[in-house]
Amino acid sequence: MAAAALDNANPTILSASQLPTRQKRSAPRNGPDCRYSDLIFAKPSYMSRPFLQDDDIRYQDDTATADDLSAEPIDEQEIYDLISSITDPEHPVSLGQLSVINLPDIHITPSPALGVPSPNTIVQVTVELTPTVTHCSLATVLGLGVRVRLEQVLPPNYRVEVICKENSHSQDDQVNKQLSDKERVAAALENDSLRSVLDKMLESCLEN
Amino acid sequence: MASAKIVQLQSLKPDLHERAWVSIPHPNLPLIATAHGKNVTVFSLSTLSLHSVLADGHSRSVRSVAWKPSLPPNNLCLITGSFDSSAGVWRWANGDDESADYSADDLSQDMTRGITKEDSAKAGDWDYNLVLEGHDSEIKGCAFSPSGAYLATCSRDKSIWIWEDIASAESEDDWETIAVLNEHEGDVKAVAWCPDVPGRNNIGQRYYSVDVLASASYDNTARIWREDSDGEWVCVAVLQGHQGTVWGVEWEPRPMNDAFPRLLTFSADGTIRVWTLEQGEDGADDGAIPQDRLGGIPSTMRRSFREQWNCTAVLPKVHDKDVYSVTWSAESGLVASTGSDGVVALYKEDSDDVSNFRPPPGENTADGSSRSNHDGSAAGGPQWQLLTTVPNAHGPYEINHITWCRRHDAGSTRRGEEEMLVTTGDDGVVQSWQVDVNSS
Repeated sequence: MAAAALDNANPTILSASQLPTRQKRSAPRNGPDCRYSDLIFAKPSYMSRPFLQDDDIRYQDDTATADDLSAEPIDEQEIYDLISSITDPEHPVSLGQLSVINLPDIHITPSPALGVPSPNTIVQVTVELTPTVTHCSLATVLGLGVRVRLEQVLPPNYRVEVICKENSHSQDDQVNKQLSDKERVAAALENDSLRSVLDKMLESCLEN
Repeated sequence: MASAKIVQLQSLKPDLHERAWVSIPHPNLPLIATAHGKNVTVFSLSTLSLHSVLADGHSRSVRSVAWKPSLPPNNLCLITGSFDSSAGVWRWANGDDESADYSADDLSQDMTRGITKEDSAKAGDWDYNLVLEGHDSEIKGCAFSPSGAYLATCSRDKSIWIWEDIASAESEDDWETIAVLNEHEGDVKAVAWCPDVPGRNNIGQRYYSVDVLASASYDNTARIWREDSDGEWVCVAVLQGHQGTVWGVEWEPRPMNDAFPRLLTFSADGTIRVWTLEQGEDGADDGAIPQDRLGGIPSTMRRSFREQWNCTAVLPKVHDKDVYSVTWSAESGLVASTGSDGVVALYKEDSDDVSNFRPPPGENTADGSSRSNHDGSAAGGPQWQLLTTVPNAHGPYEINHITWCRRHDAGSTRRGEEEMLVTTGDDGVVQSWQVDVNSS
């Protein structure tokens, strides 16, 4: 993308700390105050008994975590985490930082609050995009990136709908219609040049 | 009140493990061709297993396929419409003459032989004979006219092309473009030719040749196309009423009372509409009488060659999102639909209403026109009833296609006659279903 062709040369960019997260993640402690952590938090000696393998402990821990995950339905924050890290095709920043993707604009029906849906229950995920400027010609590409990202990772009973937030885009009806057309989306993904743009946008999602 | 049950039969083997778009049964042989990825898999309906694969022909997905009808025995010809903007002409080359065994007569005489013949059939293979080039972007649909004389292809480039094979021998391929139809304002999603039934051939002969083509588009309309007496293909009707992309069109395969076949359209708006040609007193097409001979005027200006098509019913609403496919049985008259919600729905037309609603040509008019509405909203009582639905017919996956076809497998008591439904899904499964209807 040539710099001269930028649709929005000077977008507002949020810093990572302003973005919504599930919980406050404490930064890893590496400073002088944790110099003795290894000693203090070392594995107690009784766990080093020969018949208790490290693997066992890890295994038990893993099952506990896996249970937690499967018991929790996919919620808006999880969808947000999946797509906010997509890189804007014009700027080296994420869609979350550009506020193209916003947590309140992600809707899931039936609501995740009702618990984990059965594998055959069709779950509708609607993501409203806010393109950075109203005439942004890249809205379709952004939307395609979001749709592709979610369809790659969500279970098959999740139906993804990506639309432009009302009045945010001068041709939002056209963009919405394209993005909801399965045949067009399938054909677009076989277009090599578009595919490489999408791959680049999605690269940043795979790093974590 | 009729009741109905849809019972899952076998899936065709092997599973394809990728999105499959469409499965088209051969017009008279026990074969069905499924488009998936860049390939087509042909299944035998006798064994419900693999017959052959058409591979390495296209650089992008194959979206649609069409069997050429009315071929001499032992000949198979399949057209593939691809996202790579081309259509392929494939012909089956027999390994030897003994696999000259696919004639319908042969099969009806001795169905059990169909299975053993599978092996010899595999000695043959598909030849990729010709590429039909011309479309600017993805080909979405293709279909042969009932006689096999014409092939129509349609594309995201908003055009429909009509092709004719003018080769002297069936085994040779020499295709030329006889028309390019440009009036749609968006992708043309599908094309379908009116079946060769008496109703088609009685009507409209004064001004048009017999073949009638219908198309469905991203522009929310369907259109009807005919060839006028000057050999020009013209749009004779625009069917407006859907609030979203029209995914396809399905003709009535066997109309009652020799009426002109009706047309079903189905859409991203979740609805299925029934359209009927308005016919005049003498059974002719009043709507299409030209006021004047307009020779020399470009076809786009010949507005007087219009047919009046009215939306005469909307099927009971089942699908809340895209209806991707609808199929209308010539045998039972039942209609089945499916779509992005993964539901299969079965509908029946109220037979009491039919005689009332669609009188034979010559007795109609006042009643018919009072029940219909030109803007596409149907008037009149409920003429169609929903018999049953199957939710999650492919589990959580979307279903892209549904079709009626004859059963030829060992599980059927009336092989070659009994009908079943075949659905094709995003899960790469091609699934057959038995339909039992009890009218009581």
